[in-house]
Amino acid sequence: MEIPVEKTESVTIAMIPVDELDASNAGEFKRDMAPVLESDTRVVMDFSRLRFIDSSGLGAVLSCLRQLSAKGGDLKLCGMSKQVRSTFELVRMHRIFDIFPTREEAVRAFSG
Amino acid sequence: MNAAPTSVSEIQEAICRHAKYSLGKAWPDLSPHERFAAVALAVRDRMVDAMLATEERYRQTDPKRLHYLSIEFLIGQSLGNNLRNLGLRESCREALARLGADLGEIERSEPDAALGNGGLGRLAACFLDSLATLGMPGYGYGINYEYGLFKQEIDDGYQREKPDNWLAQSSPWEIARPDEACLVPVYGRIEHGVDRHGVYNPMWMDWKLLVGVPHDMLVPGYGGRAVHFLRLYSARSSRDFDMQIFNDGDYFKAVEQKIASENVSKVLYPSDAVIGGHELRLLQEYFLVACALRDIVRQYERNHSSFREFSAKTAIQLNDTHPALAVAELMRILVDEKELPWAEAWEITQATLAYTNHTLAPEALEKWPIPLLEYTLPRHLEVIYEINRRFLQQVNAAFPGETSRINRMSLVEESLPKQVRMVNLAIVGSHSVNGVSVIHTGLLETTLVPDFHQFWPERFNNKTNGITQRRWLLEANPALADLISSTIGDAWITDLEHLRGLERVAGDAGFQSEFHTIKRANKEKLAALLWDSSRVKADPDSLFDIQAKRIHAYKRQLLNVLHVVDEYLALVEDGKPPSAPRTYVFAGKAAPGYRRAKQIIKLIHNVARAINSDPRARDWIKVAFLADYRVSLAEAILPAADLSEQISAAGTEASGTSSMKLALNGAVTIGTLDGANVEILDQVGPENMFIFGLTADKLRAMRETESYHPRELYERDARVRRLVDAFASKRFCPDEPGLFTWASQTVLDSDDPHFHLADLPTYIEEHGKAAAAFNDRVQWTSMAIRNVARIGRFSSDRTVKDYAREIWDLKSI
Repeated sequence: MEIPVEKTESVTIAMIPVDELDASNAGEFKRDMAPVLESDTRVVMDFSRLRFIDSSGLGAVLSCLRQLSAKGGDLKLCGMSKQVRSTFELVRMHRIFDIFPTREEAVRAFSG
Repeated sequence: MNAAPTSVSEIQEAICRHAKYSLGKAWPDLSPHERFAAVALAVRDRMVDAMLATEERYRQTDPKRLHYLSIEFLIGQSLGNNLRNLGLRESCREALARLGADLGEIERSEPDAALGNGGLGRLAACFLDSLATLGMPGYGYGINYEYGLFKQEIDDGYQREKPDNWLAQSSPWEIARPDEACLVPVYGRIEHGVDRHGVYNPMWMDWKLLVGVPHDMLVPGYGGRAVHFLRLYSARSSRDFDMQIFNDGDYFKAVEQKIASENVSKVLYPSDAVIGGHELRLLQEYFLVACALRDIVRQYERNHSSFREFSAKTAIQLNDTHPALAVAELMRILVDEKELPWAEAWEITQATLAYTNHTLAPEALEKWPIPLLEYTLPRHLEVIYEINRRFLQQVNAAFPGETSRINRMSLVEESLPKQVRMVNLAIVGSHSVNGVSVIHTGLLETTLVPDFHQFWPERFNNKTNGITQRRWLLEANPALADLISSTIGDAWITDLEHLRGLERVAGDAGFQSEFHTIKRANKEKLAALLWDSSRVKADPDSLFDIQAKRIHAYKRQLLNVLHVVDEYLALVEDGKPPSAPRTYVFAGKAAPGYRRAKQIIKLIHNVARAINSDPRARDWIKVAFLADYRVSLAEAILPAADLSEQISAAGTEASGTSSMKLALNGAVTIGTLDGANVEILDQVGPENMFIFGLTADKLRAMRETESYHPRELYERDARVRRLVDAFASKRFCPDEPGLFTWASQTVLDSDDPHFHLADLPTYIEEHGKAAAAFNDRVQWTSMAIRNVARIGRFSSDRTVKDYAREIWDLKSI
């Protein structure tokens, strides 16, 4: 999948480009996020388009965080729909991510 | 266009509109089921308007709401009941007459919603009727089983089970609400880690997702002022296919997964089946709890920003332990999702939940193996462990060093494999634990869970079961309902204690005559049914002796058969006819895997065949078994009963509600001091009942001292010997000798848990008295009327008010 990436001075913003992130495309998502994670350390992942995520999708997002953390970076999330947010809460994953309502707030958090 | 028809022409128009625009046909072209659907949809319009108005009224005051979680709701047919409660019956009858159709015929074509096995599920349905009638905001939560309880057919006296695909043609009562679907994760594993602040954070990973789609069945209260809903969930797979498998090219595997997900709401488990360890049943129980709590929390959060008021606004009643996972699920939601501290979440959980126990049989108590829980619900198992750890600290502090007590109270049984005791979980997680009759609650406290009662005596209370008079008299027995209303007014419909007004006419010759005429007409109808279904020719003037309930060893249908055969042998061998001609009617289903219960059905049929074909018995005894007992059949049987058999060994039946339905319809009870019989006796008086048998205390003492020796009675009493030997002989099984030897062995066994022979002599004696009383029509009719007059306490309106006042803190709005 083609992941739209936008760069500010110090933060890279990656847009999840699908409505559903699940077992059918989680592997592909991880593969296509790899170049971003290799080249950058401060990443915001924008969920605005996403309507559904399953455990495979959550696993893929978690692995992104871990890759960044391993090299001293961080991943912040933004733009979640109510349903996607509640899936994070369901499995306590909202506690290990910084989650923001908007892209701007997520970017600002890196400089805070 | 009028969406809420009330006049005859409006109803007629609405029916035709639904025929055309909902079903796509002109009225004359509809099949019988489609005609029912068109009428139901027209009635549903009226209920939808009333439901929205009710919800608006409730919303204005943000009242506390009750959510009744039950794995079963035994609803039966709804059209007749809904029409009566809405006051539309006569208008609808007239509208249909104008369309050339008969309302009664359309009502009879409605399939029963058999989403339950027996008393527990029917109680839940009665409660919903009462809550709506009382205007108390209370809602049912259950499972939308595609297949209800099996249909029973009889083949050569043997029960055969047929699937009950009641939703095959879809139910016009149900309103699907896919926009309110709930996501339910299952399976997976726990990944132990820390959160952003370094605090321990177990994450639930690799789960599969079920989707619960709610379907609302509307529940109109009498008078139509309040209309509530019963929310039934259907399981759907999270997506139409697991796309990964589909992409890999394994289409059939993807379809299989979809089917597996939807299996969760496929079929109702019959009770008494050995269900411990059945993964699908555990998933059903969790599915119900997860969907219900998700919905309840979502509703609460619409009006509240914190959980401080949750228990002040929300009551959740657990109907038996099947929804007991609610304890772990509510804790999981509050702690994991809402990030409340454990102690605060626990306080809210206990203050919200309440638990009703329905069984005293230790072998029937639910336990789930830990390995199965770990596999299906890994996070919930962790929560249960933590609840248990904290709880056992409390117990240990209260009873230091009492290891065996601590082991008994633990949520985890140290068996192989270890198991979670759902009764203990339900008690620990609730602020109220109730039994369903006075004697049952006493036994719950003293014999089933005495450690818990000693620990939390204030938590235990009794709520004697009840039945809704709207279904079981107004709908089931309209002629008697009319007679009562014309005599004392119709206030009894919403306050059953008003039946006391019948006391003054119990001895009145005119009233007795009318009462008797109605009973006889009901017996004529049942006699016709017996002839149509079983080719048994019953005399409506004979004593109709009825035992209609699940077939189960503890309910002692075998004791009933012993008496029937004793009476028969006295007639044909001693030349002593019974005091009154009798028609014995049995009805009930046996769980498909319950061999003994199925043997009892076969025995009843063979005894019936022998007696019904014996010309010497022709004028005296008839025996019939009505197949496929269900709510609608109960409505036909119960109004015709003279004598109501409630004969479980004392200390075994939690409550029993058929006793109440039968007494309400003018039957006199022959029964033991068990379940609700004890309280019915208090109300109707010993002069209006036939009580026999040993008390629960006496039976327990016999069990403990091993002093029950039925063989001594057998040796001593020639009549008993002849009776028992008849089952060991080929008298009732000439082609299959030995078929009923089990019956002889059962009653002669010192370990017979149901003490058949201990109670047999007094049972026979009381039957003799009943027959003598029946022969005096004035005396009998007066007894029957007094049963009706004094049964008012057993309305589910009273029961619900008791729960509302003492457990739920729920008010009428």
